[in-house]
Amino acid sequence: MLNRFQINALDLRLSIMASVLAVMAIAFHVLTGNFLTPENLYNIAQQTAVVGIVAAAIALIIVARQIDLSVGSVMGVVGVLIAFLMYTKNWHWVPASLAGLSLALLIGLYQGWLTSYLGVPSFVVTLGGLMSFRGAAFLVADGKTQPVADPVFLALGGGLDGSLGPTLSWLLGAALSALLLWNTVARRRNAKSHGFPMRPLWFDAALALFFVGVLLAFVATMNAYVLADKGAGQGIPIPVLIWGAVVMGMAFIVNRTRFGRYVYAIGGNPEAALLVGIPVKRVMLKLFLLLAVLVTVAAIVSVARLNAGTNSLGTNMELYVIAAAVIGGVALSGGSGTVLGSVLGALIIQFLESGLLLLDVSIGYRMVIIGQVLIVAVVFDVLYRRATGERMA
Amino acid sequence: MSSSSPLIELRHIHKAFGGVRAVEDVSLAVYPGEVVALLGHNGAGKSTLMKMLAGAYPIDSGEVRVAGQVAKLESPADSQALGIETIYQTLALADNLDSVANLFLGRELMTRWGTLDDYAMEKAARDVFHRLNPNFKNIRVAVRSLSGGQRQVVAISRALYFNARALIMDEPCAALGPEETRMVHDLVRKLKAGGVGIFLISHDMPDVFGLSDRLSVMKNGKTVGTYRTSEVTEDEVLGMIIAGKKVTRVAECYGPLGGMQ
Repeated sequence: MLNRFQINALDLRLSIMASVLAVMAIAFHVLTGNFLTPENLYNIAQQTAVVGIVAAAIALIIVARQIDLSVGSVMGVVGVLIAFLMYTKNWHWVPASLAGLSLALLIGLYQGWLTSYLGVPSFVVTLGGLMSFRGAAFLVADGKTQPVADPVFLALGGGLDGSLGPTLSWLLGAALSALLLWNTVARRRNAKSHGFPMRPLWFDAALALFFVGVLLAFVATMNAYVLADKGAGQGIPIPVLIWGAVVMGMAFIVNRTRFGRYVYAIGGNPEAALLVGIPVKRVMLKLFLLLAVLVTVAAIVSVARLNAGTNSLGTNMELYVIAAAVIGGVALSGGSGTVLGSVLGALIIQFLESGLLLLDVSIGYRMVIIGQVLIVAVVFDVLYRRATGERMA
Repeated sequence: MSSSSPLIELRHIHKAFGGVRAVEDVSLAVYPGEVVALLGHNGAGKSTLMKMLAGAYPIDSGEVRVAGQVAKLESPADSQALGIETIYQTLALADNLDSVANLFLGRELMTRWGTLDDYAMEKAARDVFHRLNPNFKNIRVAVRSLSGGQRQVVAISRALYFNARALIMDEPCAALGPEETRMVHDLVRKLKAGGVGIFLISHDMPDVFGLSDRLSVMKNGKTVGTYRTSEVTEDEVLGMIIAGKKVTRVAECYGPLGGMQ
């Protein structure tokens, strides 16, 4: 049956995770009575964005059998630098952000070169980076908080004025729906013209309509969140918009480009990748640079959200993004994982955080629970891979 | 034989790993439409020699000529560009990717927008796989879930699709059943008839005597001797492999026409 619908183990797994997310939402709503409200969902979406942006990239790093423990610290030093240039040096936010990007790329080049060209394990390289760059974040502004005030920059972090508003949100929702439908039609047309087997029409249609439904429901929810003194609905928060763009960009890289395919090949069998002529070192270095770009984006969103750059920006971020990727089904053994999985993983963590907070669970218990959920996810991962034959007993 | 000039010539090749001399002053040639078997114990240097030809290992000293031209083989891509394809003993497959992705790995077909052309690749792959094994249908599942024979089909299809001029086969039948072994033998004969020059690494005497025109035995990184397969016996070959004892009963043979070419 699965064969006829061309569902593979990955699709099935993503569906299971999406169901877990839905069950969690309903359970929390029953328990608290105010989980599935526009306000709470709006806040969750906004809060997940920063972790989600970095998780999408770290997923690929882990797929390539590497790790980056320094993302939180790099985010810290880059964020503080941007805020420092804007507040203390009076730079415009655009050159300040570009300076931050340059620093991130430099760090990516350094760590990526050590890992790919010298062969130093990335765990060690980035463990060193985790400490060093946290220290550097302190050094940039002597540990002083750097407030930022540029309204355009602050909008990137969401908040009161950092959203699209109802009209633009609906337009965007409609455009993306059209893209989804067109994509399905184009895929069917291509399969037909090449004489490849197709899924039943009703199944493809149901699938496409389901995603369109989720998308439009999301837009409606974001528009339903009305702040008392504004009158109009908020619409899609800018950080979520950025996160969405990042996810689409990463999905494109993974599915449609050579680079993406090579990342998976390296993760699946590094030796074979070398033997068939893939420039493994170069691909690996590019991967670290790609991560650096997304860490910069996350740093900008984060600073804008907090209205300031502090030296503690991004603390423990590495733990959350790796957890999100792993819960999202990225195997630490490499070669397997999806960008969409990282989205679901990040959402599952944030749902838990938010739900437990609404239930008035203390910080201690929250950490205990989230840590154990991570383990549950990995146990599920091991059992699932065994069941689908991806891993020997 | 259609041609009297060698397709590939390895001249005085040396390779050392640290202090270990893995390949020492080895010279060997293959002519168009010829199968040259390469024999020897594990660690004799056969695979190292072939990996240098495949571009996977840098050559310390010595010269490789392809169709008479000195070739620079600094990466697998260099060798592939010269029409040298390799089927590794390990098959060099990315287990997490499907057969189509593996066939084109490193040499994907692209659309004019610079993105992967999955439809063109799948279509081409179906054709090649069908030629090798008409029953091989589940080409969109991860290679790890395929049988040994199907995995071999994927590895071999690389050589077929990219029109190898010269082919290196490292123990192509080691993990195969009788049916699949026959498939590989048929393929070798077909490619040979098409003028492809083939280096065949094998431990299996029936393979060697059934397929090769000439054979070369290596021991401890050096060539023991190179002979016309039809002129030596299995015992003499085993003697060369085990004891390094050169056969003096017949002359060595460095090309299909015999003698020192």
